[in-house]
Amino acid sequence: MDRLSQAQSELREMDALAAMDSPVHRIHPMCKLYVTILYIVTVVSFPKYNFSGLLVMVIFPVLLFQAAGISVKLCFYKLRIVLPLVCAVGLANPFLDHTPVLRMGGLVLTGGVLSMVTLMMKGVFSLMASFLLISTTSIDSLCAALRKLHLPGILTTLLLLTYRYIGVMIQEVAVMTQAYRLRAPGQKGIHISAWGSFLGQLLLRSADRAEELYSSMRLRGFQGDFHYADVPACRVSSLLFAVGATILILAARYLNIAGLLGSLVMR
Amino acid sequence: MIEFQNVSFSYGEGKPVVEHLSFSIQEGETVGLIGANGAGKSTIMKLLLGLLSGSGDILVDGLPVSKQNLPAIRKKVGFVLQDSDNQMFMPTVYEDMIFGPRNYGLSREETEKRVDSVLQTLGLTELKHRYNHKISGGEKRMAAIATILAMEPAIILMDEPSTALDPVNRRTVINTIRSLPQTKLIASHDLDMILDTCQRVILLSHGAIAADGDAEVILRDKALLEANRMELPFCLQGWHR
Amino acid sequence: MHMADALLAPAVAATMYAATAVTVGASVKTLKKDENAEKLPMMAVTSALVFAGQMINYTIPGTGSSGHLCGGMLLSAILGPQAGFLSMVVILAIQALFFADGGLLALGANCWNMAFYGCFAGYYLIWKPILHSRLFAAASEKTAGRRKILLASVLGCVLTLQLGAFSVVLETSLSGITELPFGPFVSVMQPIHLAIGLVEGLITSAVLLFLYETRPELIMDVSSEHSPVQGKHSLKSTLIVLTVVVAVVGGGLSLLASSNPDGLEWSMFGNTDAGYSENMGLDEEHYGTSSNAAEAAASIQDKTAFLPDYAFADSDSAVGTTVSGLVGSAMVAAAAALVCLAGGFFRKKKNGAKNKVL
Repeated sequence: MDRLSQAQSELREMDALAAMDSPVHRIHPMCKLYVTILYIVTVVSFPKYNFSGLLVMVIFPVLLFQAAGISVKLCFYKLRIVLPLVCAVGLANPFLDHTPVLRMGGLVLTGGVLSMVTLMMKGVFSLMASFLLISTTSIDSLCAALRKLHLPGILTTLLLLTYRYIGVMIQEVAVMTQAYRLRAPGQKGIHISAWGSFLGQLLLRSADRAEELYSSMRLRGFQGDFHYADVPACRVSSLLFAVGATILILAARYLNIAGLLGSLVMR
Repeated sequence: MIEFQNVSFSYGEGKPVVEHLSFSIQEGETVGLIGANGAGKSTIMKLLLGLLSGSGDILVDGLPVSKQNLPAIRKKVGFVLQDSDNQMFMPTVYEDMIFGPRNYGLSREETEKRVDSVLQTLGLTELKHRYNHKISGGEKRMAAIATILAMEPAIILMDEPSTALDPVNRRTVINTIRSLPQTKLIASHDLDMILDTCQRVILLSHGAIAADGDAEVILRDKALLEANRMELPFCLQGWHR
Repeated sequence: MHMADALLAPAVAATMYAATAVTVGASVKTLKKDENAEKLPMMAVTSALVFAGQMINYTIPGTGSSGHLCGGMLLSAILGPQAGFLSMVVILAIQALFFADGGLLALGANCWNMAFYGCFAGYYLIWKPILHSRLFAAASEKTAGRRKILLASVLGCVLTLQLGAFSVVLETSLSGITELPFGPFVSVMQPIHLAIGLVEGLITSAVLLFLYETRPELIMDVSSEHSPVQGKHSLKSTLIVLTVVVAVVGGGLSLLASSNPDGLEWSMFGNTDAGYSENMGLDEEHYGTSSNAAEAAASIQDKTAFLPDYAFADSDSAVGTTVSGLVGSAMVAAAAALVCLAGGFFRKKKNGAKNKVL
């Protein structure tokens, strides 16, 4: 099935991106996580008619993408999942909200159109931010940061273990899907007669795998603790990044930067 | 080093998988465990590791395999699983290698030293910080061996160490096995590999020992092998044609 | 029905995060440490499998379309509600991080809408009571077991999807993002998710029935069916199930039947921005239907003579879109585009052909 190999190549691509090296990659994961969340919260908190204020926010991810040496275009592919949803919601706005917000000659820009556009921008910007985070931070260093934040160990361990086996499982599902399709040409999906056995067989195999996995843990003295590689300490540069980003993001939120820029030029 | 005395085991009420089994393995020996599917190879390994328990006595380095001895025994015995994916569950090779030693209370510095020296010996230093889900099958098998060696076991058990590898990777694994000084018990259908690595072979049939002796003798005994659903190793087959 | 970041107000997102965090904490506490260690491999391997399994297309007979598995109910029937919940949380987190399915901010809400209902509501309100009940006592033990699994899976999935869909509407409404009114939207969402829930329920039951025939010990509450203690509770649990079913079906039907949703809308949310809601919670596969839903909701809205201009009559002052603002915005956009172009140019120079892949 195409979606499986698609998912696999997407995971591989994200891994490759996170394995690159750049000033952004070197920022401490905790600082990056914090800035990403602050950024998304700020973006989402913009009033629905504040187009120019929101637009200024695009500068942050765009600059960081460049600093990380990653093309912004890459994340637009992932928009296919988020954008339809956001559009579906936003498209209703122009029909329901006719408040005139701007008149230019005979043209009237209504609030509905404006709020639809800002909603889509919010969707795009927050996606850019989380894509930037995960494409410059490996999952294990992110989990290390989460552990430092006192997230329950079982959750981060489960996350890492699950991530470790997703590739293996996608492979198994893909092989089984191929085997099915080769014997069922022309069928788009799994026929109802095999609904249960298809995933069921895989579940049985997974149960065996889990058992063997657990044996392998016990044989190496497992008593409930996992030991991970140390995360490098948070350097001053990372802290400076976090502080600087906070100031700039808040400035962009509360100062009318676009307005200031515009009036400078117009004077 | 390893001693089985009249060991029997069955799953539930079923037919015994292993019956009245007795043998012993001396320190430094490399023993091949061969037999048809279902002959009891894996069961013997699991019994030895205390993952299953049956009747009779099993001694490892003088210690009986029993609940209270398990930590001590598992520290001594390393088990290389057939499916390396099941063995390498941590994110990176390094983290998998420190898993065992750290669980047995070794200090960080000491563990670090061990990891580096094992990787050095096996020529795998560049694998250290690689992700387990991104290394190739051959690398994964070698890394799994490294994971076990980092625990510095006195005995190593291997389940089908040479399967699903290309010829070059298979050869690397065989050379590695030959270079390891530990006592080894290797279960496999790859009789050429057994011939290359083991001095002694135990041939199992329906949970009992059909033959136990010099590898060169048993693996050349066409009649004996064929009676037990096996064939001569490929490298020896030419003589009979 | 993954929520997106853009559809949530920070306060709503934070509330949902808090609710999810409390549930995670409680689940971790309930699973004792040794049990945890034992279950961990199974949890990891099954959640990885469910993650991959969500991409399988199941052909729905006679329709030509295909259904999918979400997995909450399946995971809690195999791992139990707590472990199932944690596994679902992990699946959703990986989807949000690597596949942009949902988002970082919306993760809390997604965990609640899909994992909490799927695992806890589905398990405690439906799965456990039904499997421990004396339903189908007339049939043989094996047949009764089969029927109970089928019934519990279908009811469980329908219930959890209904709750999830309702939460999605509620969360987006409270966030005040769009102009869609609550009532019509809910009355479009719930029936759609009734259908989705039915299909998911049938897939889940098929998988569980397969396990029931091959390795029943893998399913929760199957082996303990005949212990005497359960018998006492059977009447009570049957009643619980019946009440829940009646409540859900009744709630859904009354919403459907409600031709004048404005009453509900205004009484629940007053006349603030939060009084607005919109269509969400449809899977990306159902995008086509979801835009229909939005349009349907919009047309219903027109018929109910709602005054669109009413809500923002005084909002001109808040617009802040002045001419200088527009000029500034254009400059920002140009600058961003320049940075991208320049960055792309330099990268190409530096990495040559290698960069093609990225």
